[in-house]
Order: sequence, then C-alpha cells, then structure tokens
Amino acid sequence: MTETERITRRSFLKTTALLGGSALLMSRLDWAREVASRAQRGALTHAEQYQLSQPQNILYSVCQQCNGQCGIRVKLLDGMAVKIDGNPYSPWNLVPHLDYKTPLASVATLDAPLCPRGQSGVQTLYDPYRITKVLKRAGKRGENKWITIPFEQAVDEIVNGGKLFAHVPGEENRVVEGLKDVYAVRDPKLMREMGDLVRTILAEKDVAKKRALVAQFKEKFKEHLDKMIDPDHPDLGPKNNQILYFWGRQKAGRGDFAHRFFGGGLGTVNRHGHTTVCQGSLYFAGKSMTDQWDGKGWSGGSKMYWMADTASAEFVIFVGASPFEGNYTPTNRTPRITEGLQKGRLKIAVIDPRYSKTASKAWKWLPNRPGTEGAIALGLIRWVIENRRFDVKYLSNANRAAALADKEPTWTNACWLVKIENNKPTRFLRASEIGLSEKELFVTLKDGQPVAFDPNDDKNAAEGDLFIDTTIRGIRVKSALQILWESASSKTLAEWARISGLSPRDLEELAREFTSHGKRAAVDLHRGVSQHTNGYYNVLAWFSLALLIGNYDWRGGQSWPSTYDILGSRADGPFNFGKLNPGALSPFGVSLIRHEVKFEETTLFEGKYPARRNWYPLASDIYQEIIPSAGDAYPYPIKIAFMYMASPVYALPAGHTWIPILQDVNKIPLLIASDIVVGETSMYADYIFPDVTYLERWEFSGTHPSVTFKVQGVRQPVVAPLTGTVKVYGEEMALQWEALLLALAEKLGLPNFGPNGLGPGQPFTHPDHFYLRMVANVAFGERADGSDAVPDASDEEIKLFLEARKHLPKSVFDPERWQAIVGEKLWRKVVTVLNRGGRFQSYAEAYAPTDTQLRVRYGRQINLYLEKTAEIKHSGTAETLPGYAVYLPTPTDYRGRLIEDEKNGFDLQLITHREILQTKSRTSGNYWLTEFMPENLVLMNSQDAQRLGLKSGDRVKIVSATNPEGVWDLGNGVKVPMAGAVQITEGIRPGVISFALGWGHWAYGAMDVVIDGNLIKKDERRGRGFHGNAAMRVDPFLKNTCLIDAVGGSAVFYDTRVKVIKL
Amino acid sequence: MTQTAVNPLVRMQEDLQRAMQKPLERRSWAMVIDTRKCIGCFACSVACVAENVSPPGVTYRTVLDIEIGRYPGVQRILKPMNCQQCENPPCVPAANEVAPGSMERRPDGIVVINYERARGREVFEAVRRACPYRLAVFFDDGRFHTDGTPARQAYEQRPALEYGRNWSRTQDQPPVNTVRKCHFCLHRLEAKMLPACVTTCIGGAMYFGDLNDPNSLVSQMLKEQRDKVMRVNESRGTKPRVYYLTDTPVLCKSHHP
Repeated sequence: MTETERITRRSFLKTTALLGGSALLMSRLDWAREVASRAQRGALTHAEQYQLSQPQNILYSVCQQCNGQCGIRVKLLDGMAVKIDGNPYSPWNLVPHLDYKTPLASVATLDAPLCPRGQSGVQTLYDPYRITKVLKRAGKRGENKWITIPFEQAVDEIVNGGKLFAHVPGEENRVVEGLKDVYAVRDPKLMREMGDLVRTILAEKDVAKKRALVAQFKEKFKEHLDKMIDPDHPDLGPKNNQILYFWGRQKAGRGDFAHRFFGGGLGTVNRHGHTTVCQGSLYFAGKSMTDQWDGKGWSGGSKMYWMADTASAEFVIFVGASPFEGNYTPTNRTPRITEGLQKGRLKIAVIDPRYSKTASKAWKWLPNRPGTEGAIALGLIRWVIENRRFDVKYLSNANRAAALADKEPTWTNACWLVKIENNKPTRFLRASEIGLSEKELFVTLKDGQPVAFDPNDDKNAAEGDLFIDTTIRGIRVKSALQILWESASSKTLAEWARISGLSPRDLEELAREFTSHGKRAAVDLHRGVSQHTNGYYNVLAWFSLALLIGNYDWRGGQSWPSTYDILGSRADGPFNFGKLNPGALSPFGVSLIRHEVKFEETTLFEGKYPARRNWYPLASDIYQEIIPSAGDAYPYPIKIAFMYMASPVYALPAGHTWIPILQDVNKIPLLIASDIVVGETSMYADYIFPDVTYLERWEFSGTHPSVTFKVQGVRQPVVAPLTGTVKVYGEEMALQWEALLLALAEKLGLPNFGPNGLGPGQPFTHPDHFYLRMVANVAFGERADGSDAVPDASDEEIKLFLEARKHLPKSVFDPERWQAIVGEKLWRKVVTVLNRGGRFQSYAEAYAPTDTQLRVRYGRQINLYLEKTAEIKHSGTAETLPGYAVYLPTPTDYRGRLIEDEKNGFDLQLITHREILQTKSRTSGNYWLTEFMPENLVLMNSQDAQRLGLKSGDRVKIVSATNPEGVWDLGNGVKVPMAGAVQITEGIRPGVISFALGWGHWAYGAMDVVIDGNLIKKDERRGRGFHGNAAMRVDPFLKNTCLIDAVGGSAVFYDTRVKVIKL
Repeated sequence: MTQTAVNPLVRMQEDLQRAMQKPLERRSWAMVIDTRKCIGCFACSVACVAENVSPPGVTYRTVLDIEIGRYPGVQRILKPMNCQQCENPPCVPAANEVAPGSMERRPDGIVVINYERARGREVFEAVRRACPYRLAVFFDDGRFHTDGTPARQAYEQRPALEYGRNWSRTQDQPPVNTVRKCHFCLHRLEAKMLPACVTTCIGGAMYFGDLNDPNSLVSQMLKEQRDKVMRVNESRGTKPRVYYLTDTPVLCKSHHP
C-alpha cells in the first residue's frame, strides 16, 4: 500500500464520518473493493497474506464491552480494526500470564482467550447507528426528531443559555439558564469558607445552636446569599450544586477528567455514578465492614468488597453470582475454575434460583427463594458456631498487634464488647466507661478480665474471649460474636431452611464442606445477594460467615484488589495530580441523592419521620434516586444535567419512572447527553454529543477483587476517531466527551483547565496532557526513588510502537507531543506500558509456590459489628439500624412495610439473569452476538407452565401491581408492550420466572430517528427479545422510583411479584 | 501448586511449530474438546466468525446447549460442534459427484473446499445430505450482518485468508454462493498459530495438535484419558478427527443430535 493510497483513504474516512444526518455512518467500501481486486489479481504481497500475525498490526488495550476490563489486542488492517483477541500479558486473559518483560515482537502470534462480547467490539466501533455530529432536539423530548448543529454553537448555547428551543412548539418563550448562570460561586476561597461553616452547622447537634449557626452564616456571607440555593438552608450549598453530572460506565482517568471539570471546576457536589443499579449494597456493606477506627470515629471504609481467589480455593460458594456469565469476569475467572474442577482441586456450590451455566458444573445447585440469601448465611453461621468449626485463634485477635503475632493479615472485632440497651446492641463499650482507662479505648474480656486496647496498636496484642454476655459496672455488654450467634440462633437450621426454600440437609452439608478446607474456602457474592430490599444485611451475613473461618487475604479465601496509582500521589510524582489543580473549587452541601449525611444533621430535619425521600449516610452513587429526586425537587431542584455513557431508563428497575421527569422541561430545564448512538435514555436529551468508543480513547481500567495481582490496565486509542475533529484552545482533537468538557472550560475560563491548567506554564489544552502523565505515573511506579519503575522499551519496541500507530492522526497520536509531555526520562517506560496495554504484576511475584497468603492484601481490620451503622436511624421508619447480620423479610417499602402483591394474584416472582452474549444496555448492535442468541426468553419452570397452560414459544406479557398494563410507556403517546416468548425449563425454581438483561431494546438503533429531516430507519434485530424492568415494583411511598435497600442503596431487581398473561 | 507452569496454549503452539517443520503428509491434525471445561460461552463461535469473516447463517463453530432431567435434578450438556474432519468423509465423494474437484481430504487430515468449484446450492445440498453431522456445513448466500442498517460496514468485506488466499466478500465471487465449513484455521496453522477457537476458549476446553507426534499435548491427553474419549457417530465409520472428553461418554453420546 502506497502512502498516497493511505492518505486518500484517510480523507475518505474523515469525510464520511463528518457528514451528519442520513450519512451517520462510516463505510469504507471503496478501500475494501480495492484490496479485494488486488487479491483477485494475486497482487498481494506475502506479508499481506496473513497480516493479523504481524506485530506492527496489533495494538494492546483494554476491553469495555462489559465492566470486566479484560486485556485485549486489536488487530488492524491498514487502520481498520478487524479482530480482537485477549492480551497474553494481562492476568485476565492467560493463566499464567506472560512475564512483563517478554519482548513484544515475540508474542505477535500468541492470541490469548477472550469472551465473545470482547471479540465483538469491532461491531460497537463500526456500529452503523453511531452518531458523529452534535444532535439538538427539534421536537419534544423523546420524540426523536433532531437537527445537527456545529460543536461550537452547541457549546455556546450550553454556556450562555437563552431561548434555546424556540423552534419547538410550546417552548417558544422558554428561557434556559446556561452554565454561566448556575456556576455561581467561582472564588475557591469563598467556597472553602462557606463549606467550613456548613460542616460546623451539620456537626452541631443542638437545635438552637444549629439555628444560630445558620444565622451566623447569613451574616458572614450576606454579600453572597444570592449564590445559595436557599440562604435559610445553607447546608444545601451554592447554586453550583444545581448542575448535575451522572454517569453509567466511567472508569479512572476519564472519571478524574470529569470530576476535575464538574467538581474542582464548576463546584458541584452532584456527581453521581450508577453503583446501586449493579450491586450497590455489596459495595456499601463492604465499605461499612472496612471502616477503620481513626481515634474519634469510624471512617475511611473502602467502597469495595471481597471475591474468592478461585485460583487456589478448594471450595467456593457462589451466591447470586455466575462467573461463567458475568461476575468480573468470565475470561478472567473461568479458566481458574474449570482447571480446578477438572483436576479435582476445587468444588463449587451455586445458590441461585436459576440453573446457570456455573450451576451446571457445581457439586450442589441450591435454587433458593429469592431474597432469602441472608437467611441461608445465618443458617450456616448457626451450624458453624454450634459445631465449633470456626477459627478461634483468628477471631480472638482484637487488634493489629494480636494479628501480627499470629501472622494474620487481618483481624475483626468479634471479641469486642458491645453495650446492650433496651435489649438492643448499641455502641462499643469504651474503657473510660468502666474506669479502665481515660483514653478512647475499646474493651474485651480475657479469661473474664476486662482488657482495654487500641485496635491499631501494633505493639500490645489484645486477645479476648469470644462469647460474652455479662454486666460490667452495671453496664450490660455482649461480645460482637455473641450478638451474631444470637441472631443466627434466633431460628433453627430447619427454620432457616424453610425460609430459604432449601433442605436443612443441604445447608448442613454446605456448612460442613465450607469448614472442611481450612482457609481455602470462600464465598463469592454478587447481584443476587445485594439487589433486594435487605441487600446490605444479606451481604453482611455472608461476609460474617467468611470471617468465622478467617480466610481474608489467604490464598483460596477472600481476595482484595490493588492497582498502580495513576494520580502520582503515592510516590509524590512524577506527576502528582493532587498538586496540579490550580484554582480548584471545594464543593460542599447536601447532595441531590442525600448521601453520606444523616437526615437529623441537616437543617431540613424538623423532628419528624418519614423524610420526603430516603437519606443514605452509608452509601453513595445511588442511581435510582438521581432523576426522581430532581423530579421531587428534594432536597432542591436541578437546572442543568449532564449524563455520560448511561442508560438508566433501560438499566434501572422501574426505569420507566424516569421518563416523565426527563420529559418535563420544568424539572430538568437543560439535559445534555454524551453517547455513541441515540439510546433509550439519551433520546430524551436536549443535546447529544457524539462520543468515541472505548477503542478510540483513553481510560485507566483498574481492577476487580477477583484479580489477585497488582495491575493497571491502560485503555488507549487504537483507531482514528470516527467522529472527526474539533478545535478547542486552538488545538485539534477528536470530537468526544473530553473535547466537550475542554470547550466548556475554555468558554467559562475555568482555572484548572487551559494554558496554565496544570500549573504555571503547564497547559491542559488537550486530553493528552492529562492521560499521558497518568501513564507516566503508572510506568514510574510507587517508590520515590524510581526503583518501582518498569523497564525502558528497547529500540526494537520503540520502532514497533511507532509503526503500529502510523494510522493514527496527529490529533490523536503525535510522538513528539507525547514525549514532550512525559519527558525524555520517562518516555521509554511509557512506551513499555503502552505496548502492553497496561502494567501487570508478574505471576511468579504474586503466586510464589510456597505462599499460603495472597500478596495483594487488604491487611486491616474487618468489622463483624458495625458501630457506625448501629448509630443510624432509618429515615423512613425512625428505627435504629442493626449493626450486625440479620435476616429481614422482603420486599419492604421505604416505610418498612411488607409488600404482599402475591395476595392479589401476582403469583410469580420476577428475577433477571445474565447471558454472556449481551451486556445490559450497550451490545444490542453486535450482530456477531445476536447471531448466536437473537433474543432472550422468559424462563419458567414446567410446573408453573402446566398450571398456566403455557408451552415453550408462547408469547406472553408480564404485569405487576405497579404496571398493570404491562407496557413501556415512552411518553408522547408511544407504548411498547412488555411481551416476549416463554421458554419452559427445568432449570429454574418453580414460582420464579427470569429473563436475561440485554435484549428487548426500543432505541439504540431499534427505533426510527429523524435527523435533519432524514429518516434513519430502525433495524428490527436490535429490538428483539424481552425487557421486563418496567414490571419491577415502584416504591408505594416514593412513587417515582423502584424499591430500594434503604441502608445499602441497592436498586431492587428481584423482589417483584408478577403475573404472566398469555397473548 | 495449583497452577500449571505454562499455559497449554503456549505448549500447544510449540507443538504446532514442531509439526510445521515436518512435511505436510507427516502431520496428523486433531482437535480435542474437553466438554467438562466448556461453559457454553460462544467465544469460539465468535472468534471463528471474526477470523473467517463469516456472514449471517455461516457459523463453522457453534455450541449445543441441551437440558436433561427434571427439576431440581437437571443437567446441562454443553457441546461445541464444527466439521468433524473425518478420516472417511462422506461429504467429499458427494461434493465431487456434483462438482468435480470441489472437496478433498488433505494428507494432514483437513477436509478442504475448493471455493472456485464448490459453488451453488446444489453442491451444498449434496454435502449436507452426505454429512452425518448437524451444524457442520453452511452455504454462503451473500448476506452481510450490517445489511438492513444505514450502511454496510467495511470490516465485513475485509480480505480474509482461507485456504491460503485472501477472499473479500464484495460481489458474487467466492466465497459468496459457495459451500463453507471449518478448516481448522489452515491459514493460521501456516502462520504457526493455533486455530482461533482454540486460542480464544476461556474455559480452556479446546486442544489442538499433531497426533503423529507422541509428545504433543493432544496425543498425551488422548492416551492418558482413554476412558473419557468420545467421538460423535462413531458407528458410521467416519472416524472424526474431533475428539470429545467427557466423564459420561454414554450420556454425552445419547444426547447428540
């Protein structure tokens, strides 16, 4: 291929991509025809024969087809991505993965495994429905009528506002506030001072004093009260908080970019992720369990949880989790499991109402009644304690020093004393309360004698008795383990079995097996445990069970993740982003979703319960609360909302409740979406900015607890962007999310962007300025002396690096610009990392054959008893929360009332499952996947089918108490029936029906769209199958969102009763 | 301890490189599928489609998912299927009768199609009738996955190397209107790479190598696990070169369509 031909093709690509409207699309047929004709003439060179084995045609990056973040290598034919395989350097893809130093050229012919979704990424990239120009609404929200407008115009309109939709009937006179109007407080010093005083207000417990502090605020900042949402409630924060940013799939790097813009730049606290739609209560129970004692209170818990080290385990209980179909992630976990099963090293049990592919390989499949996962755990805990099959030595350790002495990486508070008041466990006993010490110390009993200790003391080991129920100086106390035992023994094993719909014998065998492998047994939990109204406590119960065998940080036990730092804070360099943020604002105030704050601390609390909506002191990123809270203007209204890579209407349970709010221009006056196609939620936006796909951009993919190596995957552009380019700060860059944020920052003059955005003389005018520095941090490592750095790339690898990127335009890849950003010293190290798609700890280092413990460790205290939780009042019931594992019947509403739709004829419980051939909202355009599974079916047991007179293939509709019509009401008079075909199976518990998430789309190419007057016809294939989320129960008190776990924040997927109606 | 020192893919690639140094007629390719490790994920199927740029309806490799038993005593049999590369392939004479020279069995055991000659539905029907296996042969009817969308995409017309030649599905030229099936990724073998379904298998269920080499992993597996080996429709005398490993050979056989 000559250089001229190459350039011609590139300009062709550019032209087609820049066209809007009906030429949405990228097509390179001319080129394909040309190569084909040369092929037929026999004019192809030898090297062209199998180009996919040539190292210069392969680029390494990270997948984003689900959130697994597996390594990939993308094979290119003259700039076009044609095939994607697994990255043999990545521990996700190969067991054991290649040594990091293995020369790049030598692995060109070694493809590593990758799941089918990962391989179909080519079709996400070259999706014929991709948008390449900015779309502006030309009809009512959701009507799907659009015009294309120049990027610069869109940026100007969003900043300045005005009568932006005068062309839409009914909106002729609607004046929209722009960012310049809502970006109210701009002075970092002023915002910091306001925030300090507001924190004092929140911390003040006395009502009168709180009122006085509010008055003080109004006096002190009287010049600036116009900048507040409500001067009488300064704790709601400044108007800046009326800018809302929420996201779906966002990872590090890109996330840091957005937080820098919306947080440090625009000063809003309202930056919320989607965690609770996935497995929120799993993360937030984990956060509570990992809170550490800081001398004053419990803080610093990690929004994280543990998984099983499947590579070394002898027994794993998968609860509501299917690693062969999801669960972070099949590519990574499957080979470790199948190898273990086949060699006889590993045995697994699967608790899941549906017979998953994982269950099909299990020693035991336990199809439980959904929502009773906590009851099962408590049954097992009861048996383990009763039969004294727990790790006494581990549980007796009360602090760090005791753990160190036993060479245990972690310790618990199992033997700590908890005060019992009115028969309820409350706070831990403090040594000062019994005159044992004046310091803030905790207490246990050793051989009946009180012992005071500091949990973080690494010198003086404290151990305690495990089962304590006594009175000390008139104070009734119990040990944390005693409290757990009482909760578990509140029912017999037979009763726990009856509740969960399993046999006592199965539970006993499960408990015996779990305690027969020392520390090489583990529990592995996911959505089936957390997405219930009792999710938080289900998770706590299962992780409490694991604490009984003390398997945390042990090989074959519970594993914890670790990543290389991209922000340069651990080694203070080479680029410490904490210090590269000039003029950044410090946002403050209660967030729209009322997270990490207690209702009672705010000025909105008037001594009455329930609150208008739930407060979430223990959770964050509560997805189902974002737009519904804005709909209720509680605690305040929103003015401008940005959404990134999100489709909550499709993804959330009862996601249809968002539609009328999103459509209401008074409730959400300005709605901006970043998307790659017109999706189920972005179709309601005012503007859609075309983004690039994961194969055209940067991101840092992090890790998951299932990965027992220290890692940092680096996602990087592997093809030229299909969206064309724009000019921002005078620099050419791809039209993508970052370009929008940079352009808005330019127009608003944000100090932490622009020519001095990273410090004096340090420009932040191109995404490369940000991301290349992060790569450099990863390459440098975490030791200030540089001894943790990766090796320099050889001359040969530098050459390959350049050659493999020849097809990328200068706006994306410019070796001189890149090298100037990171500096000569780090350049070759950066190349090493980019050549391998990230940095990965070597297999040998993480799994030395003699190791009994994992190298990547959690290594701190794990709370069996949660003091912080026990001090919180549920804002819907006014009841104090239990601080230990309990079983709570489901489903309940926000007021704690049991919902019993089954009494009204809703005879089946609806759950969902995952098939590996789709990822929730974003793979319906992957035709290689739909080739093998064109649609999903409603799974039903033959017993139910017989009762209802149904046979496989019958078309049915699903109705529920809150969706009696069984439809998706899309607004504007459009209704889509919630109907699909039923599949009769023996692989599901009778009384339960299930459907796989990912099918049944109505947008994302499955709906006609008009752009610039041109009709873009839908593709029927993309709308096949069934999506039943709109049947999921709406909370009867909240009315505009699904059922919730009020403690852990989860959106509830699995507690709805439905009826199936034959069509 | 619990891990192999080197991934079987690396080992098998070394086996492959050794085999490729021998003359063609001294190689004897075989595929071994450990159904105990198959999780029915279709990674192999998609890898095959992407590698060979197969159109809709042409899936050299698919996976059967069969449920047996009654709740809760249910079982699931997951079984990958592709051309079995028979030693006595009934398809070859059948095809050649309709279209002389359209199919042959190579000395290394791969049953190949001559795309220039195996044209038209008549040849396909003859092959399909002769083949005792379902889901083994396909007809390329000229469709594209992105037909019916705003634009047919170029990646579907990129040159794909099959049988040592680059083919592009652009007009009514082979492989359009042609019989198609698995060829053990012959073009990858020539490039010293394992078949795409083998390298991509996330369950580690796929094995490939030279049976003439007693030291190859596949030779060793078939020897060591003799009692676990099953071939499909053995009674037909076709002698497939695809071997299945299962703990329940009888059950597995009785549920083969």
